[in-house]
Formats: sequence, C-alpha cells, structure tokens
Amino acid sequence: MLSIIDTAKSYNGNTVVNVPQLEITTGEIIGLVGNNGAGKTTLFRLLLDLIRADKGEIRSKEKNVARSEDWKKYTAAYLDEGFLIHYLTPEEYFYFIGKLHQLSKVDVDEFLQKFEAFFDGSILGSGKYIRDLSKGNQFKVGIAACLLQKPELLILDEPFANLDPSSQMRLVRMLKELPGQQRMTVLISSHDLNHVTDVCHRILLMEKGRIIKDIDTTADTLQELEMYFEV
Amino acid sequence: MVLTLLSHQWKSFWRGRNAGTGLAVQIFLGLLIAYLLASLLAMGLGLGHILHKVYPGQDVVPIFCGFILYYFSFDFIMRFTIQELPVLTIQPYLGQNIRRQQLVAFLNIRALFHFLNLVPFFLFLPFACTDIARGYGTVATAAFITAILFLTLFSNYLILYIKRKTIINAWWLVGFIMAIVVFMMLDFFHILSLRKWSANAFITLLTRPSLVLIPIILGLASYLNNYRFLLGNLYLDEGVKNEKEKTSREYTWLQQLGLSGELIALDIKLMLRNQRPKYILRMSIFFMAYGFIFYRKENLADPHMYIFLFAAIFMTGIFIMNYGQFLFAWHSRYFDGLMSSNISIPAFIRSKFMLYNAVSTAAFVITSLYGLISWKLLIVQLSAWLYNIGINSVLSIYLATLNYKPVDLTRSATFNFQGIGVIQWLYAFILILVPYLIYWPLAKFVGPWTGYAVVGGVGLVSLLMQGYWVEVLTRQFHRRKYLILEGFREK
Repeated sequence: MLSIIDTAKSYNGNTVVNVPQLEITTGEIIGLVGNNGAGKTTLFRLLLDLIRADKGEIRSKEKNVARSEDWKKYTAAYLDEGFLIHYLTPEEYFYFIGKLHQLSKVDVDEFLQKFEAFFDGSILGSGKYIRDLSKGNQFKVGIAACLLQKPELLILDEPFANLDPSSQMRLVRMLKELPGQQRMTVLISSHDLNHVTDVCHRILLMEKGRIIKDIDTTADTLQELEMYFEV
Repeated sequence: MVLTLLSHQWKSFWRGRNAGTGLAVQIFLGLLIAYLLASLLAMGLGLGHILHKVYPGQDVVPIFCGFILYYFSFDFIMRFTIQELPVLTIQPYLGQNIRRQQLVAFLNIRALFHFLNLVPFFLFLPFACTDIARGYGTVATAAFITAILFLTLFSNYLILYIKRKTIINAWWLVGFIMAIVVFMMLDFFHILSLRKWSANAFITLLTRPSLVLIPIILGLASYLNNYRFLLGNLYLDEGVKNEKEKTSREYTWLQQLGLSGELIALDIKLMLRNQRPKYILRMSIFFMAYGFIFYRKENLADPHMYIFLFAAIFMTGIFIMNYGQFLFAWHSRYFDGLMSSNISIPAFIRSKFMLYNAVSTAAFVITSLYGLISWKLLIVQLSAWLYNIGINSVLSIYLATLNYKPVDLTRSATFNFQGIGVIQWLYAFILILVPYLIYWPLAKFVGPWTGYAVVGGVGLVSLLMQGYWVEVLTRQFHRRKYLILEGFREK
C-alpha cells in the first residue's frame, strides 16, 4: 500500500523526519506514538504531499505521491481544523466532500445516518457554520468526512485528543470494525497509549524523526510503551 | 496593573500579524497615517484663513462654531462603523488575579487609543488658539478646548456603550440608525437647524466659560455609564453575538458544471459568508459607477481616448482586480485540506477561470449601459472585457501562485492590511499597465480604434487558448505548491 523509501525532512538543520525504509501493507492498522516534536504530523504531511521531502520518495500503490495525484482518489485524511472549510455548514461540507467522490446528496444523507449517535445531535441541523462548532465537534465532522469517502487509506492525527469519552469509545469501535469490512489501511497517531494499543495491529514509536521501534501489538505492548515513556 | 496591561497591548500591536506584513507595507502605512494627520493639521491651520475668505468681513467664530456639531455627528457615524470593541483583549486576564475594576479601567483607557480621538485636536486646536483666543480671551479658549476634549470623550464612550448594547440586542442597532436618519432628515428639510444650535451653544460657552461644566459632566457621565455597564457584563459569552440560524444552501445550476461548478459554489459561499471578501464584493459593485467620472463629454473629445481604457479595464475587471489579489489566499485556512482531497489541480484552476469569465461578463453587461452615453464606449468596453477574461485572468492566476501570505477571513475589512505583500502592490499595476503598453503606441501612432481592436484581439486569442493556459498554470502551481502550503500554514 505505502512504501517510504529513504525519506528525510529537516527544518533549519534540525532533522524532523528521517525514515530509511518503511513498508505498510493493505489492511494494516498502524499507530504512531511519540512525544511532541517526534515528527508524527510531519510524516503525515509528507504522505499527503503537503510538504516536500528533502530526499527520498513516498509511494502509494507504487506511485510517487509527489508526481501523481492518483492517491487523492482513495486517501482520506484529517490532521487538524485546516482540513475543514470553516464557513460551510457541516451538511454543506459533507455534500462537498461527497461530490468529490461522486456521491449524491442521497448517498451522503444515507451514510450520515450511521453517525447519528456519534454526532450526538449537535452537528447536523445545528444551524451553525463549522467555524462556530466546538473543537470536539469540528473533529467529529472531520472524521465523518473522511469515512464518507470510503477510503482505502485513512490518516488521522490524534483523533482521540479532542473527543469526549463516549465519542472516543465509539471511534475505537469504528476503527476496529471498519477496516475489516472495507479493506481499509489506517494510520493514526495518538498520545493515548491505551486506545492505540487497543485499536492498532502495529505500533511505530517515533523519536526525533526516527522510527525507533516497530512492534506488532501483543498483550505486552502497552507495558513496553509505558516503560519507554516513563521518565 | 493597568500600565502592565497597556504594555501588553503595545507589544501585541507591534508583534501582531499586521505588523509582520513586511517593511514596505509598514512604511507605506506609516506614510499614509502621517499624510492623513498632516492633511488634518493643514486643514485645521488653514480653517480660519478659509473662513475669512469665504465670509469676508464677517465674524468667523460663529460660523466655525456652527460646524462643530456637524463634525461630532459625522464623528459619531464614523465611530459606529470603524471603532472596534476591545473586548477580547482581556480574555487571557479574566482568570488571573486581577480585580474587575482594573480590567474595566484598562478596557476604557485602551479605548482612548484611537485615531478618531486625535482628529478633533488637529482640526479645532489651531483655530481655537488663533481666532477664538484673539476674540474671546484665554479663559474662553481654555473652556472651548476643554469642551471639545470632553465631547470627544462623550462620543467615544457613548458609541462603545451603544455598540455593546447592539451586540446584546439588535433592536438597539435599528433604533440607532433610525435616530440618525430622522435627525439627518430634520436637518436636511430645515425643520431644525443643527448649525444654529451648534453656533448658539458654543458662542454661549465662549461668553460664559463656566458653562464648560456641561460637557465635562456629559463626558464623565458617559464614561461612568460605560464603566458601570462593563463591570456588570464582563462575561465572554455575552460579548458574542447571538447569531441567527445558519442554513445550508445548494446552487443546483452550478452543479451541472461538475467539479469546477462545485468549486465555484465554494467561492461564492466564501464571498457571501465572510466579512472581508463581502466588503470587496460590495466595493466592486460600487466601483462600477466609475464610468460617471471618466466617461465625460470632455474625455470623449480627446482623440486618443487614453483614459477610457483605464476606466473600462477597471470596471469590467474589477472582480479580477479585487478578489483576484488573494485568489488562493482566501482559501489559506483550509488549503491543506483542499490539496489533500480529491481535487485535481487543473480542475481547480479551471474553476477560477470560469469564475472570472462569469463575473467579468456580468460586469460587462451591466456597465454596457454606459453605451447610452456614446456608442464608442461600448466598443471600448468590449475590447477591455475581452482583454480582462483573456489576459488578465491568466496574469491573475499566475500571480496568485507567487503569493504565500495567508488571509484571515474572519477579520473585518476596513484598514485591514493583513496578508498584503509585494505581490498585491504589483498586482493592480500589472493588470492596468500591460494593456497600456499595447494600447499607447498604437493609439499614438496609428489610431485609437486600432489600439482597441488589438487590445481586444489579443484578449480574444488568449481566451481561445484557455485550455493551454490551464496546463501552463497547473505546471506553475505544482512548482510552487509546497511554498504556498507552507506560507498558508503560518497563521
């Protein structure tokens, strides 16, 4: 699905990302953990061709993401509020995103019904533009818009951070169920070690731009990670 | 404490995004402000002189006094439109160990630092120190100046109070506007004379300086009223407008155009729902009246018709000129999202062309009414319109790929220089100057109609090449994409 080949990015001489080799196969659910500044978001931006790598290349389905735009068809991402069009109502935003993937209004409405519980009545028909929603609700809009695209590759940056506990649980359940149904590859970053070890098959631990651990999740993984983060 | 808070404001002014717009803009802004103040001062200094000329042999002081209330009414309206409430500035302090009285005092003092509070002194002081001092003596002059000072304070705090009230209850706004309109009508139809009132009031003040107590009391009362109101209403949520429900809107006629139509709909919503582009849109409509200034009989007599090209390019291309200077930057806040969603760059660029074509054509149709003045204007406009959608649209999109400064959509538009860089300064020059480079030599040495034919012809040829331009601009965009994204991410 994804291969990162000898990729590095630095700002003013500080290496932010340095990944000599990484392969991600279809259907994997991958969790990226690491302290602030470890390079998680930068790595995501590289995957989405939002920043230029100093060297190396990133291939999505064997195609360099910086050369071809094909990845846009099957990739959905939500990194921050910079992915939402803030002066649209949530509905308008969903229809817009739907249109980009040839989904009609009816398709979108039907899809959104599944999110009724997740939205908790405060998003659809709220009479607000996205910019007036709370941060947590904006996040829900972003996540729902990603899933609406039925992506083969889903990228979420700290999806649990802004959500209330019930929504976190619901998201965990979705992330566990959906990939099996749709053959989706998922990449999430998180500071919440519990959720991440619960959801992901494989954990990448980043430190100063490098992937220092690449572990398949087992019963001991949580403990292993807690050991690493202990000060 | 209040001093510490004020020093924070000072820092926020200099370190704010507006200040970071680069040296050129800062120098320009500085010059602009200096120019405004200088012209005010010149007006203030020249006022006595002018009045003596216009009303020779008369005592000019009563005439001068007749204008003062007019000034304050104008000041009132100006304040209402441009003075901003410094409420949010205290947000970080609300949770700190600072007493409410101090915060309110800070807000009130902060409100004094406004351009409009300086104006009356530049305007009235010179006259007061010369003519009034000569005619009525020092005490009366001191009383006059004190009165002006406190009336300014009165106006300053009253408008802040009314503005805060209108935020809580929109009926205050309706009431305020009604009151102003009624007052203007009464004055206009001579039912009451603001001028006579004004002259009477201030002449009485000059003869009986002790009456200065009245403006002093008005000023203080206005201050205390505002103080009391703020003290009881220092809650964040009440400072936020209770806005009306937002509804979703679809433009079905645009959806037939596919992805490009979808992107145009996005641009339309952007314009209608954000203060700054909305302001630009309104200005664009307003500028279509430029023809009344330029399309004159005198100008029609000029065989070269140089000035018409400017007016016609400007009016039919006003949208390209105004909206286009931030073409991509309008979307800066969510550009990351746009670039990683399923939008192909050629479609994105094509949508911009379609938007330009449509709006410029509409502007051309509307301004064709100037053809009633002379058929010649119709031909001039036709050529300018073709040039705008043919060449200027391409130039605009090309220049947009060189602009890396984000635009903050949510801030108000007046005196907002955020997001302006070298590109914006060059922009209008290029869009107006290049057609003149084509037109001027032709009009001078061959004839104006050849000039217009060539300008329009060049536009038409380029318009037919739009498919090719999309390819070129796509390549250009890809080359700059990362720089644009990086710039836009800096908020």
